Amino acid sequence: MLKVWTVTKRILVSILPSVVAVALAFGVGALLLLVAGKHPGEAFSTLFMGALGSPNRIAETLVRAVPLMILALGISIAFKSQIWNIGGDGQFMMGATCAVFVGLNLNLAPVLLWPVTFLAAFLGGGLWGGLAGLMRAKFNANEVITTLMLNYIAMHLLSWLIRGPMMDPNGQGFPQTALLAQPLQLPILFGGTRLHFGLIIGLLIMAAGYFFWRTTVGLKIELVGESEHVARYCGIQVPRTIILTMFISAGLAGIAGWNEVFGVQYRLLDDISSGFGNLAIVVALLGNLHPLGIVISAFFFAALMVGGNTMQLMVGIPFSLVTVIQGLVIIFVISRVVYTQWRDGLAIRRFNSRVSGQSSGRSH
Amino acid sequence: MQELAVEMSNIMKVFKGVVANDSVDFQLKRASINGLLGENGAGKTTLMNILFGLYQPENGTISVNGTQVVIDSPSKAMSLGIGMVHQHFMLVRPMTVTENIMLGLPSKRWPFLDTAKVERELVELSRRYNLQVDPKARVWQLSVGEQQRVEILSALYRGTEILILDEPTAVLTPQEANHLFEVLRIMRTDGKSIILISHKLEEVLTIANEVTVLRDGRLVGQAQVTAETTKRDLTNMMVGRDVLFKFDNQDSALGKIKLVAEGLSAKNDKGLMALNKISITLHAGEVLGIAGVDGNGQKELCEVLTGLRPLLSGQVILNGRDLTGENPKEFIKTGIAHIPEDRHKTGLAMNFPLSKNFILKEFDSPNFSRRGFLNFKAIRENAELRMDEYKIKAKEHSVKAKDLSGGNQQKVILARELSSRPEIIIANQPTRGLDIGATEYVRQKLLEEKGKGVGVLLISADLEEVRQLADRIAVIYEGQIMGVLDRSASIEQIGLLMAGVKGEGVEAC
Repeated sequence: MLKVWTVTKRILVSILPSVVAVALAFGVGALLLLVAGKHPGEAFSTLFMGALGSPNRIAETLVRAVPLMILALGISIAFKSQIWNIGGDGQFMMGATCAVFVGLNLNLAPVLLWPVTFLAAFLGGGLWGGLAGLMRAKFNANEVITTLMLNYIAMHLLSWLIRGPMMDPNGQGFPQTALLAQPLQLPILFGGTRLHFGLIIGLLIMAAGYFFWRTTVGLKIELVGESEHVARYCGIQVPRTIILTMFISAGLAGIAGWNEVFGVQYRLLDDISSGFGNLAIVVALLGNLHPLGIVISAFFFAALMVGGNTMQLMVGIPFSLVTVIQGLVIIFVISRVVYTQWRDGLAIRRFNSRVSGQSSGRSH
Repeated sequence: MQELAVEMSNIMKVFKGVVANDSVDFQLKRASINGLLGENGAGKTTLMNILFGLYQPENGTISVNGTQVVIDSPSKAMSLGIGMVHQHFMLVRPMTVTENIMLGLPSKRWPFLDTAKVERELVELSRRYNLQVDPKARVWQLSVGEQQRVEILSALYRGTEILILDEPTAVLTPQEANHLFEVLRIMRTDGKSIILISHKLEEVLTIANEVTVLRDGRLVGQAQVTAETTKRDLTNMMVGRDVLFKFDNQDSALGKIKLVAEGLSAKNDKGLMALNKISITLHAGEVLGIAGVDGNGQKELCEVLTGLRPLLSGQVILNGRDLTGENPKEFIKTGIAHIPEDRHKTGLAMNFPLSKNFILKEFDSPNFSRRGFLNFKAIRENAELRMDEYKIKAKEHSVKAKDLSGGNQQKVILARELSSRPEIIIANQPTRGLDIGATEYVRQKLLEEKGKGVGVLLISADLEEVRQLADRIAVIYEGQIMGVLDRSASIEQIGLLMAGVKGEGVEAC
């Protein structure tokens, strides 16, 4: 009984900061609405209803949540190793591109083609991000810069492919590839919605993410993140582990891309990643880099996106409010770290002044 | 005129419960060079950071030129004429020498800079003190020695009368060091007072005219450097002769050879030669002590013997297997246990629970994992067993390593390293910073391992420790083994070798 309580307490303590960050973000958002002369209650209830008000809305939110959570899981693996992979978008696009390429060109039964395209997506994303890992491990190139730069390269590569070699020959010049064959498109779970089988796959991947941290590879990655110095002392080959970490992290981003093209778009388009890559960083941080936390925060951000669209349509509050709230969540999540440091610093200063006060009192 | 430039009395400084300075008195005469000696962690830099206003002491008073002052910031220190050159230079690399020196100083032509005037003054100043630097050069173009000159110039330009130099020769070649000493002599003649933090006896004897020795945060001696002052006097002061414990250390016949290291050469992190063709032989069931003043290549020796540092030349052979050039994993697998010098940075994953720290080196062995998945039950049971066996005081195995006391942290490392049933143990300063109880425990454990036939290489700056535990004592000095002594060697004999003097009755290695 006592044990149950301590565990519950630990969970509560670990999610509390995230909840506070979200609450504060909405609080400031409400103030902004008041200043703009809108009614916050009305805005937020439309937002809520837009995201969760009907089975169809919930399905839409889930459709967005799935790629977000897979991406964020990948990012969390790199972050735990203190590798700042911010190239989720590029890895997503490369994963999607490889998957579609294989899907369009290989003639196999769907049951066989799905795993092959899945693998292609993982490799496409993984190698793209692994390149940044290689540069970090071999030349100590800062991965924040390389992953970011690789995003632009991926974006323009995709843009060229869908206007050139991979363009739909019957597409009347639209910059997009041909549709994937009907049997290849992931089955819809509930008729009348867009919710597809990718949800199940996404949740399975998240469960695998939970178990990943209980493997030797997971421990190795965590140890490199804790201290490269200690890891080396323990016989771990740090450069190799960094490359592996980036490969897995980016591979998952590629899978998120696979999910999007096989479950929603069925083809490659410009901006196929819809900025999921950047949002996923926030999702991972708000979820405290924990797989379950990521599922929850991915759902939350997906709901914000879907509900925000409705809000814009129904009550004329611009979608940018949602962007503002996302930004505020980032600020509050980050300021939590600053706050902890400030609080600890304050405690040390107080302690010091007390000690020196006492000792100077004695010397008189 | 007041004769003392600086007088610090009864200085007390505590960091998170660790006493760094314990009622230290320090005096610096005017126009004098004071060598502040002590081992790493003796509290030298802390004391000087207090004088420079970077730390506030918990207790004690500071007088400068006979007036009691409170130095609450470096800018206050500078206004009192105190300057400090840190080990890590505080220069802006893309800027020129002149620009670096002007930083933070008011300009006489405000709001414009008066670069030309400062430059002229700098040229004048560097001529006077023989500190040649091109004022127009950018800092990144300068060698380390030149950058140090810029730091000193900058202090002089700000009107420094009392200059603190924190281990200035650590980054210099011998020639550059000699030049620095010349500059310091000119400054002394000019009436400046200088504090030279160092753990090198040689240079203190060369340049200083007075010396202050700290040990474990306490003042252990103050002396004038005269022709009679010898390295041996200073070594004794630095290392101390307190005998803490008696151990029943059995003499044992040398067992078969476990480790042969031959002609090891390696560079340190700064790219200077740290090991110069060192050879060591370690037998089963013996403790080979490596004595020496800190910073003479001990850390690098440990690292090449565990595969952590690349060798420039030489061979490491354990039980007949050549490990030269292998990665650290191979060294571990072949049976080299390593108790590193730095528990916090190397030995433990501070944010990991104890249970994981116990298995950091063998989590992929079948004992603790199956098909890539960690076996948490085995890991937990192992932790409970080790905590019990090594009397580690912690609430439970899920406590993080950083929340343990230093002694308990060291026991966690011991437990991990010894439970791997090693062939040899390399223990670098294994009792540094531990309390008496933990120290005794660690020493006892090392002797137990020796009894089991393990070869123990004990590297320690604590002469008493080496003399109590070791069967043979090798003395390391400037990356070379000066000689190997019997355990019955006197402290004076060892001390001489530690100071780099080859004496009588010493066999070659």
